[in-house]
Amino acid sequence: MLSRARPGLLSPNLRRHVPPSSQQRRLLNHFISRPEHPIEPPPPPPLPDSQAPQRFTLAVKDNIATTSPLPTTCASSILAGYTSPLEATIVTQLRTRGALLSGKTNLDEFGMGSHSTHSAYGPVSQDLDPKTSAGGSSGGSAVAVASGQVDLALGTDTGGSVRLPAAYTGVVGYKPSYGMISRYGVVPYANSLDTVGFLSKSISPISNLVIGSEGRGLWAEHDPHDPTSLSPSARKRCAAQREGYRQPWHGSRNKIKFGIPLEYNMAELDPRIRTAWAETAALLQDTFSARIVPVSLPSTKHALAAYYVIAPAEASSNLAKYDGVRYGQRDENAATDAAAGGVLYAATRGKGFGEEVKRRILLGSYTLSSEAMDNYFIKAQKVRRLVRKDFNRVFALENPLHAPETFELSELPETVEMEDKWGPEEVDFLLCPTAPTLAPRLKDLENKSPVDAYVNDVFTVPASLAGLPAISVPMPVAEADGQGQAGLQLIGQYWDDARLLAVADVVAKMLQR
Amino acid sequence: MARIPTAELSRYLLSGQINRQGCLRLRRTPFLPRRPPCHNIRPLSTTTPPTSPAVVVVPLRKQLKDQAKALKSSGSSPRKKKKNSDNQTVPGWELTVGIEIHAQLNTSRKLFSPALVPESSLEEKPNTHVSPFDLAIPGSQPLFQPDTLIPAVRAALALNCEIEPVSYFDRKHYFHWDQPAGYQITQFYHPFARHGKIVLYSRDGIAAEDGDRIEVGIQQVQMEQDTAKTLAQPGGVNWLDFNRVGVPLIEIITRPEIHHPATAAALVRKVQMLLGAVDACTSGLEAGGLRADVNVSVRRPGEDKKLGQRTEIKNLSSFKAVEDAIIAERDRQIAVLEAGGTVAGETRGWSLGGTETRRLRGKEGEVDYRYMPDPDLGAVVIGKDLVEFLGRSMGVLPDEEVEGLMGRYGLTAKDAMALMLLDEGGRVEYFYEVLGELEGRLGGEGKGEGSYALLAANWCLHELGKLTEGEDAEPRTGLVTEFVAAGDLAAILYHLHRRKITAKTAKALLWGVFNCEVAPGGVTDAIERGGLWFQELSEEEYAMLADKVVEGEEGVLAEFLRFKQGKSKGYPQGKLMFLVGKMMKMGPEQNLDPASVKRVLGERIEGVYLPQLEGEEK
Repeated sequence: MLSRARPGLLSPNLRRHVPPSSQQRRLLNHFISRPEHPIEPPPPPPLPDSQAPQRFTLAVKDNIATTSPLPTTCASSILAGYTSPLEATIVTQLRTRGALLSGKTNLDEFGMGSHSTHSAYGPVSQDLDPKTSAGGSSGGSAVAVASGQVDLALGTDTGGSVRLPAAYTGVVGYKPSYGMISRYGVVPYANSLDTVGFLSKSISPISNLVIGSEGRGLWAEHDPHDPTSLSPSARKRCAAQREGYRQPWHGSRNKIKFGIPLEYNMAELDPRIRTAWAETAALLQDTFSARIVPVSLPSTKHALAAYYVIAPAEASSNLAKYDGVRYGQRDENAATDAAAGGVLYAATRGKGFGEEVKRRILLGSYTLSSEAMDNYFIKAQKVRRLVRKDFNRVFALENPLHAPETFELSELPETVEMEDKWGPEEVDFLLCPTAPTLAPRLKDLENKSPVDAYVNDVFTVPASLAGLPAISVPMPVAEADGQGQAGLQLIGQYWDDARLLAVADVVAKMLQR
Repeated sequence: MARIPTAELSRYLLSGQINRQGCLRLRRTPFLPRRPPCHNIRPLSTTTPPTSPAVVVVPLRKQLKDQAKALKSSGSSPRKKKKNSDNQTVPGWELTVGIEIHAQLNTSRKLFSPALVPESSLEEKPNTHVSPFDLAIPGSQPLFQPDTLIPAVRAALALNCEIEPVSYFDRKHYFHWDQPAGYQITQFYHPFARHGKIVLYSRDGIAAEDGDRIEVGIQQVQMEQDTAKTLAQPGGVNWLDFNRVGVPLIEIITRPEIHHPATAAALVRKVQMLLGAVDACTSGLEAGGLRADVNVSVRRPGEDKKLGQRTEIKNLSSFKAVEDAIIAERDRQIAVLEAGGTVAGETRGWSLGGTETRRLRGKEGEVDYRYMPDPDLGAVVIGKDLVEFLGRSMGVLPDEEVEGLMGRYGLTAKDAMALMLLDEGGRVEYFYEVLGELEGRLGGEGKGEGSYALLAANWCLHELGKLTEGEDAEPRTGLVTEFVAAGDLAAILYHLHRRKITAKTAKALLWGVFNCEVAPGGVTDAIERGGLWFQELSEEEYAMLADKVVEGEEGVLAEFLRFKQGKSKGYPQGKLMFLVGKMMKMGPEQNLDPASVKRVLGERIEGVYLPQLEGEEK
């Protein structure tokens, strides 16, 4: 049981509330490009009854396209100096809603990494002494928010790239349902998983934009430029099956059921995080009479492997275009470049991509090759279905994108308690840590293998594979030298974003009390 | 014979717009706007990569050089080449061929972007028809253009395919500078059409060994993107024109069921005719809107159970090249096998006018395309109602049409086929147009459709052909039908049919129209002003002239007598024609009708001269 009197545990970490000096900020290396003055939003349309939108400062991850004067580099040498002719739909949408563009933030090259260290512009850190990982790949955006420089930052979340940095830096990171926010102008890493994500110190700025009021939130806006953006009719249909879109959700809290995925209590989980997780669950039960239900997601153990097959496969395809012919830096001096019998792009790509990107291109090229396709890519897609099926089984709400499924009780582990003869209790949200560890020091990462970094994504990847909304809110943990930050993740059923944000807001406030 | 143009159909099906002129019900072709003739047609690009960039771009000069080399290597003194028709089989060996045909769909927009497809007839400025997606600008996404489905489904229906209700797009990866994304979007795992077939008849030009009729299965038809155009510049520099990137193509893959080279060429020709007939395709093989790759293997029937190792010959750009390349590759493979070697699975090339295929790249140079479903693109769902509608509105297909031309109008198979194939289907539409005009003019008197329809067909085919291809032909750019309005030809034929002018006058008038000496619509005026009306001699005048002609031709008349008396077997037609010729020369030609001359001469010989001769004998 949680003792609320324990000092330090639930009170905010004071150290983090001291804003870093501007010189210190520069050393954090979280921006790739910054205009001298924030770029003004376009003048609002001359509607008689339209109020001027409230202005806010916005940082944009550098793999989301902005037009001149801000380049879009994806933190890759291959796109050094590249300025996009098009502006991402989400940037346009936020600018018309009053965003002042403060700069483009650093990231792991093309979004591939978990600590924002694989960048052509150098690694990002959230602290200087010792240098601490800001998480990745949207580490620059997380630091821009955590350091108080911007009100809101855009990131991209393919397998946890918004939630993980949010957890490490102690801010809110939200990944919407796949297909809700337009990806047009987001440089793809793995299209079937990529989503635009939002980072902020609290939830309300995010939910004001995404959910809004009277159906004016971003959730209602279909983008005809993005073929995976849900159609207006599908949006309406999904929202009709959900609460919180037409009017703010004030549902009775004691009816909310939180599922605790048994499989997430794994050996690699930091005991401090495990404790904080358990205490949070207990606190929810005590404070709000919420129901805490153990649930089973048996496919979790394969989800990470499936993710690291699918994402690199799509990445190897998406990154094929960077050959130096139309944009990016072309290595014209290389011996093999277009020489007789040589390959025009080999030197360009060899020089332009960083090690992690090359690793994933090779991984993806292999898993798509005719000899490996069936054993890797196809298998991974099957696992992906199982992961989605797991979620559909534990959530009380149906997934509006798929026909209702039936589930075999025999597939469940015996540890799962049955509610009645029909099966285990169904839940509204899943409650779990965002990452298994606290933010590591950059120095400690140096001798780790790439696979160690991949393990960080183990709790965030399942929601990405299933396209579900998920949010990470700061969760204080007890540390020997005082107090640290971890992330608490809430996962909801597809398109249950409005309720997820509302409930997460309550939980986040409870944890910061 | 009723075809609705693809563009019109798209407007109706996708935007609900109905043509103002009437409903979409079948209309006769003559009233359809004809497709503008294509000048400056750009060739369809290759969609498959070379191992080394040097192979793919074959500038014209190099191509000519290759051709010259190929000719030279075939021996300094040109050997007498075996005629293809005598070279369809090699004893002891069975040839098997499968064909892949790429055709550009007739649509206004690209497959995955709303950018307009450049007009092939216009000299478009490079890189003016390009959307961000066509250039693979980072962050851009594909937007499937449903309009492209209409010609695609029509093409598949014309090839008797089953339309898949759900199909998907896949990425086919390979690097080449003409491929901006590093992959081509195609349909590998789930194409939109499968299990089709093409029926080929002897009139289609199949090998005699295949008999009167042969069926070739179509494995699948898939939609895919075209690539950019490379403009080679001096100094090893290549310029890229991305206008063509993403233009929709279909790839038609036949089953390996062809066993004779001529049949393979006939199949490609027939596919072109079918695609043209349903308005699915912009232009034909020779004009560059179509491209064929052939897979060739040989085996000893009876001995080899499985098909032999195949090789692929890419980018064949004429029907003759298809046949010649298959013969050459067959002979090469047989020679290799008979010498105890093995055929390597490889890609080979063919130069126009060559005698041998040449190796482009081997198996080790093959690219693993790493096919992957495109994660941005959802399924293509084709409704049954659309398929049914397109099936109903497709009109008459070429086979039925050829049979109509033969059965209804009495054309020979050869002429019917020629009419269908000329100007990529434009000539037969022109014929209908002329026929329609002619019928309009004849009104009720046009009894015996056969007579004037055959006349119109002959003129549309042969007399029109002489303007640009005969001895007196003059070279012109553009189709001959552009210079002779259907109405003017119909006017000439109207007078000719009613015997108001002679054939000679009619031909002169045609030249006049062609050379713009006769103003459009001014045929009748020209006859009037030139006094060209045919004033035929009276029967008496004909008889008097005939009497003059046979003077001193007793020897000739004797031949007729011998026939009459049963002393010779055949009617002396030649002698009759000799007399006709003599009479035409002797008389006032502008007043003579050869048919009348022949008739009168025949009657006079039978009724007057022979009895006279018989009388003399007695």
